[in-house]
Amino acid sequence: MLNKTYANRLKNMLLVSTGIFVILLARMAYLQIYKGVYYDRQADGNRLRSTRIVAARGLVYDRHGKVLVNNFAGYTLTLQPHRQYTEAMLQTLGEILNVKPEMIKARLKLAADSYEPIKIKSNLNTDEITSIEERRRELNGVAVELEPERRYLFNELAVHVLGYTGEVSEYDITQGKYKGLPQGSIVGKAGLEKTYDNYLRGTDGKRNEEVDASGRVVQQLGSVAPKSGKDLALTLDLGLQQAMEKAVDEQLTALQTSGVAPYAKACAVVALDPRSGAIRAMVSRPGFNPNLFVRGISTKDWQAINQNPFDPMTDKAISGEYPAGSTFKVVTGSAALDLHKVTPDELIFDSGHHWIIPMGNAGGEALGWINFQTAFAASDNVYFYEMGRRVGIENLDAYAAKYGFGRITGIDLPGEAAGLIPSPAAKQKVFGEEWGLGDTFNAAIGQGLTLVTPLQLAQMLSVVAENGVLHQPYLVEKVLNEDGTVLAVPQRAEPKNVGISPETLTLIRKGLLGVTQAGGTAAYFSNLGVPIAGKTGTAENPHGQDHGLFIAYAPADNPKLVVAAVVEQGSYGATAAGPIVYKVLEYMLQEKD
Amino acid sequence: MQRYLRNLDWILIMAVAALMAIGLILIFSATHGGGYGWMMKRQALFMLAGVILMGVSLTVDYKQLERIAAPLYLFMVLLLLGVMLFGHAQMGAQRWLRLGPLAFQPSEFCKGFMIVCLAAFLNGRSYRLLDFTDYWQPVLFTLVPFLLVMRQPDLGTALVFGAITLSMFLMCGFKMRWLALCGLVGCLSLPAVWHFLKEYQRNRLRVFLNPELDPFGAGYHVIQSKIAIGSGMLLGKGWLQGTQSQLNFLPENHTDFIFAVAGEEFGFLGSLIIIALYLIIIWRGLSIALNAEDDFGTLLAVGITGMFLFHVVVNIGMTAGIMPVTGVPLPFVSYGASSLTINLLLVGLLLNINLQREQLQF
Repeated sequence: MLNKTYANRLKNMLLVSTGIFVILLARMAYLQIYKGVYYDRQADGNRLRSTRIVAARGLVYDRHGKVLVNNFAGYTLTLQPHRQYTEAMLQTLGEILNVKPEMIKARLKLAADSYEPIKIKSNLNTDEITSIEERRRELNGVAVELEPERRYLFNELAVHVLGYTGEVSEYDITQGKYKGLPQGSIVGKAGLEKTYDNYLRGTDGKRNEEVDASGRVVQQLGSVAPKSGKDLALTLDLGLQQAMEKAVDEQLTALQTSGVAPYAKACAVVALDPRSGAIRAMVSRPGFNPNLFVRGISTKDWQAINQNPFDPMTDKAISGEYPAGSTFKVVTGSAALDLHKVTPDELIFDSGHHWIIPMGNAGGEALGWINFQTAFAASDNVYFYEMGRRVGIENLDAYAAKYGFGRITGIDLPGEAAGLIPSPAAKQKVFGEEWGLGDTFNAAIGQGLTLVTPLQLAQMLSVVAENGVLHQPYLVEKVLNEDGTVLAVPQRAEPKNVGISPETLTLIRKGLLGVTQAGGTAAYFSNLGVPIAGKTGTAENPHGQDHGLFIAYAPADNPKLVVAAVVEQGSYGATAAGPIVYKVLEYMLQEKD
Repeated sequence: MQRYLRNLDWILIMAVAALMAIGLILIFSATHGGGYGWMMKRQALFMLAGVILMGVSLTVDYKQLERIAAPLYLFMVLLLLGVMLFGHAQMGAQRWLRLGPLAFQPSEFCKGFMIVCLAAFLNGRSYRLLDFTDYWQPVLFTLVPFLLVMRQPDLGTALVFGAITLSMFLMCGFKMRWLALCGLVGCLSLPAVWHFLKEYQRNRLRVFLNPELDPFGAGYHVIQSKIAIGSGMLLGKGWLQGTQSQLNFLPENHTDFIFAVAGEEFGFLGSLIIIALYLIIIWRGLSIALNAEDDFGTLLAVGITGMFLFHVVVNIGMTAGIMPVTGVPLPFVSYGASSLTINLLLVGLLLNINLQREQLQF
């Protein structure tokens, strides 16, 4: 009998079996007790998903409550943190989304410590969403989430004012303006979107969900609702802005096609209410469509913007620095009259050039005996050379400073330039040269080293219009809650009197009025039907054709709007910039305020 | 009749009944969602049928089996050939045979047939198996169905054949040093075996060595199974509360990976109870072998016990990540009629042998 012969073997088999079962049990103890907590967390990691609910950014309204910027529902693709994604999966994703798998890997690596979903691509199009849904099984751990997408309703309109949004950069998270924000957050990158990001952004919410193996949500485990961003009520007037944009584009096209100024492609115009400093319209050309950035700009579009020599990304209205040209005669005239270096009636002889240094008028004309009024209206250089000589460069600079030149206006936009008011000390320092009378002559007519921004010009003219009171220019009237109540009024500098006598300013205003009347450099403005105060300017440009400038306010007897326009390489101010200002004022005058 | 009932091995019966009950509970948990509730009912129905079949089998003396062993062997070979030719492919292997409305897995039944045939084959010859070379006949006898199963390809069942053969050989006096020699030769021939394996089998082995190699492909089962078991911790998450099992992270959770459901929902305590129940079955099986009236009974009992042991160790080892993934179900617990039926018949066979026993205990 085998079981008698090998009875021991049967006993050993039982022993060995028991031994094997003890090993199995030890393995269970290892997995379930020793490593139990670890695997419990892994199981939670499998089933729990935390989703960020992106808060909608605040809306942006014009001064009449018309929406300029809002949001609509876009789709965003996210991956889960602490999850392994295979090479093949990343490859598939890359193909669907048309991005490099390396880029996805880099994102996963960056977010290694995060518990937030990792955003791979925003604003998916229908094809991408369909492809992802079709391959749900393969693309385990990939989620498509609804997210508000920024929309600039009027595309290029006021793009430099509004700015645009984009994903926060690595630099900004670690040390910049947006320190500590989660990766993939949408923040303001330029313009008001950037300045007022803290108000506009809102607070993201969070949703905890239980999901099954295919990523479908099984149950909601609680959530924190997002808080929408606050709305901005701007000073901009949509109608005026549109009129200004149209006027600018028409004028640039006309200049280019007529052959007068083929390179007139860049331009900046500012319109503000001198009574408050509220910017009513502001244009910089060339521009771009901010909606391109919302969707993650394509290489082609980016190249088109980046390689444009006229720099579409720059807001030339606040950071374009130009010689003021003859518009600066407002400053020179103010200084001369205010300091009693001349009386309005004193006649000065213009022989075509000044008698100390033979610097003359641009066109070489000689006007003979002229007083302040005539000299200002006709923009006579010789007269103002003499004014500069009498006033002296120090006093000239002091009056330039009174009008706000040489420093930023403090408008609520990023990247404003300060311009330059040349002084003998600065010339010595920069060029190592003595200041000569010729330099003073140049400064007196806004040429040479003088640099101003279009916004500064508008500010100067509003001081004149407001009889010496300077209002800081600004763009945001109020920050609003969702229900329309006022949350905050952005702080701005108190209006201040710059210290120029009313008598002087009355004479300047009279001079400005003369410009648009018969005998003035912009006489065609009389067609508008109401008296207009204006000044032309033609700024010498060593790199090409002269820049054309025009500044004006209307109505002359009750100023409601100041406009300053600069057309780069547009030649004469009256013909290049004047027509733009004309159309803007025309629109303003027919509108009921 | 009273003596008959008294001579039934009630410990074995209770252990098997307990495991089947646990099986139903786990199958319900694994399948109740998504309209698969019928699976538990179907399994219960087959249990009932299997138990009746087992009861009926007890009325026939197991010794009668020896007489049908030869035709049974022929039938088995033909059956396996049939699978090869007319088999119904599933998951890359031809394992199913359709018979009217019923599809069944012939290889599961062949495990039982193999035990009977080999026991009968060895019964007359066991005393002539003195030297290593004397084993060539029984080896050849096993090799034919073994290779046919390998062709399916069904590595799991083939290895079960190996386990059955080895346990019976050991009962015939196969020397331990021969076993060691076989082991050595086996190890040396591993590269050659590797060559004959299907790509998916190779991947399973590769992934067994390192599941992280392919966490969403071949390694997925094992990783998720380990997470399921581990996250059960001491007392488990509770019935129907296992997140891995209920949210489909654990595939095949009602068949081959059902032990992971137990581990997740009933914790270490649940694992302990199930493993203990299997140990009882092994103990009873070997005890019946020891008490068998004749060599045929001893060989049958040892073969059956060896088969159960192999299934349990490989299956639980697989879910716990210490054995490669081979499609071997957990006896009495995994969903599947073919496996359940043949396992119940084999338990019947053990009981049958025990009815004729001489009293002798470990």
